[in-house]
Amino acid sequence: MAVATARTISLQGATGYLIDVQVDVSQGVVMTAMVGRPDASISEARDRCRAAVTNSGFDWPATRRVTILLSPADLPKRGPHFDLAIAVATLSASGKVPVQALAGVVFIGELTLDGRLRSVPGVLPMTMAAATRGIRCVVVPEPQADEAAFVPGMAVLGVRSLSQVVAGLCGQEIPAAPPVEPMASGPLLSWRGDERIKNLDMRDVLGMADARYALEVAAAGGHHLMLSGPKGSGKTTLAERISSLLPDLTVEESVELSAIYSLAGCLSQDQTMITRPPFRAPHHSASRASVLGGGSGRVRPGEVSRAHTGTLFLDEFPLFNADIIEALRQPLESGEITIARGEESATFPARSMFVIACNPCPCGDYHPTNRDNRCSCTEVKRREYRKKISGPIADRIDITRHIEPVRPHEMLDPLARPESSAEIRRRVTTARDTQAERYVGTAWRLNADVAGPILRESWPLTEEADRHLTARVYSGELTRRGATRVHRLAWTVADLAGTGSPGMREVDVALRLRTGEPLCVSTLETARVG
Amino acid sequence: MSERVARAALSRLSEPGDARLSGLVGQLGAGKVYDLLRDEEDVGGVFTDVATRLRGLDPERELEEASAKGIRFLCPEDAEWPRCLDDLASVEPLQGRGGAPLGLWVRGPLRLDEACDRSAAVVGSRSATSYGTSVASDIAASLASNAMAVVSGAAFGIDQASHRGALAVKGRTVAVLACGVDRPYPAAHKNLLDYIVDVGLVVSELPPGCSPTKLRFLSRNRVIAALTQGTVVVEAALRSGALNTANWALRLNRQVMGVPGPVTSAPSEGVHQLIRCRDAALVTKGADVLELLSQAGSFLSEEARGPDHPRDQLTEREQRVLEAVPAVQGASCDSIARTAGIAAGKVQEVLGLLHAKHLVENAGMRWRLVRD
Repeated sequence: MAVATARTISLQGATGYLIDVQVDVSQGVVMTAMVGRPDASISEARDRCRAAVTNSGFDWPATRRVTILLSPADLPKRGPHFDLAIAVATLSASGKVPVQALAGVVFIGELTLDGRLRSVPGVLPMTMAAATRGIRCVVVPEPQADEAAFVPGMAVLGVRSLSQVVAGLCGQEIPAAPPVEPMASGPLLSWRGDERIKNLDMRDVLGMADARYALEVAAAGGHHLMLSGPKGSGKTTLAERISSLLPDLTVEESVELSAIYSLAGCLSQDQTMITRPPFRAPHHSASRASVLGGGSGRVRPGEVSRAHTGTLFLDEFPLFNADIIEALRQPLESGEITIARGEESATFPARSMFVIACNPCPCGDYHPTNRDNRCSCTEVKRREYRKKISGPIADRIDITRHIEPVRPHEMLDPLARPESSAEIRRRVTTARDTQAERYVGTAWRLNADVAGPILRESWPLTEEADRHLTARVYSGELTRRGATRVHRLAWTVADLAGTGSPGMREVDVALRLRTGEPLCVSTLETARVG
Repeated sequence: MSERVARAALSRLSEPGDARLSGLVGQLGAGKVYDLLRDEEDVGGVFTDVATRLRGLDPERELEEASAKGIRFLCPEDAEWPRCLDDLASVEPLQGRGGAPLGLWVRGPLRLDEACDRSAAVVGSRSATSYGTSVASDIAASLASNAMAVVSGAAFGIDQASHRGALAVKGRTVAVLACGVDRPYPAAHKNLLDYIVDVGLVVSELPPGCSPTKLRFLSRNRVIAALTQGTVVVEAALRSGALNTANWALRLNRQVMGVPGPVTSAPSEGVHQLIRCRDAALVTKGADVLELLSQAGSFLSEEARGPDHPRDQLTEREQRVLEAVPAVQGASCDSIARTAGIAAGKVQEVLGLLHAKHLVENAGMRWRLVRD
């Protein structure tokens, strides 16, 4: 039979589709036709495959009519990784490789003209997609075999060239081939600030007891946090240290995040599996596509997705483009982002902790609760500035903290012994373990993830606390969404204190955290002792 | 037996703030009262109460042991005894407690009388907010850096914030406890108390080893009020012990001061009540306290006022003209005169003055405001 089918995967956002690459070699007008909605990079595959096959010492059926079908035909397809499947299917159709050998295998890889295999972005999510469709064997470029091997139960074949693939499929001895270069080398530059974020520690933050506790709660439950305060008060100092409070990623989180990085093509070679939660801090001049996802050609995950399972820090938040700010509503609420354009709609996970920092006014000095307020902005300017953080966005922020500049005597306090990140991380980890235990068997990991109705149903507040919270909704101080968010926050406060079901105290702390009121010091002391 | 030993013995026998015993000591002298008690004579019903504690009491040894631990016992005959404590003898008891202390057990390098010479109590709720603790340590730091000693109770919340504020500026601070001065109470404040023992003073009416009780806290409050010239209450809920201290300060004719908080805040309710009843003066910063407690005129707190604006200096007529000058597109002198309701000739003259003050500018023949 002169028809053969090899399989590969096409990605749309984080969704993978199993693609059949069917090649028919038969009599007819001599030509190579490719059908089934390939994009430009796939159409070029024809030329790459032909040269690669020939240069690998096989014959391209040059005297026949070759029809290559990518099916399902209605799905738009992208990317150079179809090369290997096309070449293998063609060789199989012309009888060089047994057709049965191709069954149940997914081929991923780009070919060079001399028949070597190049790395491609997205191997991990493609392998994950293959696994969900019941495929148990993938062939990938050698440098990416480790990446694909994260998927449990998958037999991964890392290969260097087309001839190695053919030999493997025919059950022959694998010929030697020069090694394949990884997709990208390590960073070209290294600079002194390289590892700066990794070396930051809460031990160096004096005073700010309130904000430290807020950070701890945010880290423990994955809640969104807004830090406002005059310039130089320490907003960035705090935000940059939040990563140091987070425990290592779980295997599940690690796979999700690595898949996103793989899609973005920025999974570095020396560290295929990401184990530490990411900290992403796009500058306020960043474009819409870079923050949210998109880009020309393939839809690439943006910073909101790259911060998945970690922290997205948006410094000088009101200076971001208004449309970026408004578009953040979706990830803030649902933990995912959908980029739709034309007939394509890609959804990426974006469940990160948002940390937003803003000045109280354009000059950064406005400080209504401080006598020494040197702000030079007019009230109109201040209003305009604050209006950038619209109501709907503010409503989705769980914790608000106004950072007061540290007073000189706080820096001199001989008894101050700021806790180190490791000490706080221990409590955060315990609280996260408690949550994982509670939500076992659900799709949720952290309090911030839990759906409102189910939260109220399965994990309610005490009756008294619930009445207290509902009263705030009726009085109009809190929206219904706000109340749900306070409910989640109260659980995190309880988890940190290890007190079980949240009651009045936890709800009171949660309300204070949300509204930006000062906390009771007993709250902070329990945190430290417990 | 010396008066000192007798007082030390009596401080072990009685509960602090026993006005009856303190009255007897005032009349008969401590030695005499102690002798009577040892002879099992029931003076004023005291013997019945203390009989069980009398057994095995050895005040001399106790004093020796205390001094080995660096604890000294002060009594009124000492030069270090703060005279201000004597005021307590002449004040009516409050809730059954009162009278001057029989003596004070003291640890720390400072002299108590010198420390109390210029001092203020900064007290408040244990369950304070971060606003309260930050204001308390602010005020304490500012008092301590102006050579005023800070007296407080070493409890959670406001107390510890006051001590730390004073310590941060290397100022003097005195912790008055409701238990023996060798006991770290609360346990979480062991470091704080150790530090105060090194650089300040830890004081108690109770002999070493005693544990704190609710009533002992109330008695302790009268010592805090009496040791100082004034009491600042930073945050106190309606049933806070800090209000008890304020009450003692009022009875002793000391200045009571209150720091207001948000009107919706429960931990500030007690303070607001004090201010509303005019029992406390409203203070917002250390300078306010210094002004009230220092010699008249020596620490005048600057009156708070908004920033000056060049327009404040203008005459009524100039202001009227200025208000009539448009901001963006200039207006002619006549039009301004019409808007301001002032004669054109006069307006011309005023515009000249305003121009000299850089408030208006002249574009062609039209006047407009100078943008800031």
